[in-house]
Amino acid sequence: MKVTDIVEKLGLKVWSGHEGLGKEITGGYASDLLSDVMGHAGAGNAWITIQTHRNVMAIASLRDLSAVIISCGEKPGDDTMAQSNEEGIPVLGSDLSTFGLSGRLYTLIG
Amino acid sequence: MKRFRADLHIHSLLSPCGSLEMSPREIISRARSKGLDMIAVSDHNSTWHCELMVALGLEAGITVLRAAEVTSAEDVHSLVILPDEASTRSFQQWIDSRCAYLPHNPVIFGDQVVIDRNEHIIREITYFLPAALKASIDEVESAAHRHGGLFIPAHIDRPAMGILGQLGFIPDDLYIDAVEVVGNPGDILYPVIRNSDAHIPEHIGRRFSEYLLENPSFTELAKALRSEGGRQIIHPER
Repeated sequence: MKVTDIVEKLGLKVWSGHEGLGKEITGGYASDLLSDVMGHAGAGNAWITIQTHRNVMAIASLRDLSAVIISCGEKPGDDTMAQSNEEGIPVLGSDLSTFGLSGRLYTLIG
Repeated sequence: MKRFRADLHIHSLLSPCGSLEMSPREIISRARSKGLDMIAVSDHNSTWHCELMVALGLEAGITVLRAAEVTSAEDVHSLVILPDEASTRSFQQWIDSRCAYLPHNPVIFGDQVVIDRNEHIIREITYFLPAALKASIDEVESAAHRHGGLFIPAHIDRPAMGILGQLGFIPDDLYIDAVEVVGNPGDILYPVIRNSDAHIPEHIGRRFSEYLLENPSFTELAKALRSEGGRQIIHPER
């Protein structure tokens, strides 16, 4: 399944990184401790978090993630979106909670 | 120039996690008996015991600096040490403008009270003080510096609530005056200090730093963090 498919199926907003919408998603990871994501998220995962700090993009790039999904209606900062555009890793958004998003994503690709 | 011992991270009973024994008077008396020359009172997102502590410190012959342990939106704790009463009042107003005012339950988290010199309760805080502000760590850093303060990410080597745990690494465009560690300084590129993060009287001074200064004061501390004019951090050693 591609990033663009989950955008459509989960009704996600695309904040930035449109160039990466064709990336393949291998699975998901949900965590707000960046040090944890750094050690445990798998390549190609979609990462669900409420953290919006620009370090999110550095971690996403480091772990070769396919997309970041910001939950709870939080808005990523301008510097986070700029970094996402640069890396070509989409930052998506939803008003759903991390729990709600994880459940829906799991039924799609889990 | 002389060596001075300082513990710049101490919670009073105003912090919900601070024991009710942590009255300003008790903190001063413990700090003196531990041989500390300078302390800072650093409650969660609050500075309401600073003036009383400064006054009691003056009487007891120990320097008290005004500070707060601020929680930014990423759940990162940072110490902000402020130069004087006016800047502290103004910084508190900034904190209040960014506060989420989440409900507090003293039975679960502990009491949050402000007391006077006679240890009478003069105010009870009804929202949860340690909750994350609606302000990013960048905003906390710039507010700290706008008020002439020092910005010191706290306990960065703890797994959570420190900048490394929450954010994975230290963003290189933050202006950081020093970092506080609990363990060994390691090969961190910033000035490193250690403090007790005491919540009970017995913990005051369990970790401290030693500085080479003209006198124990905010201005001299700021110079030591910049290694200016011979002032420096001499413990922990690098």
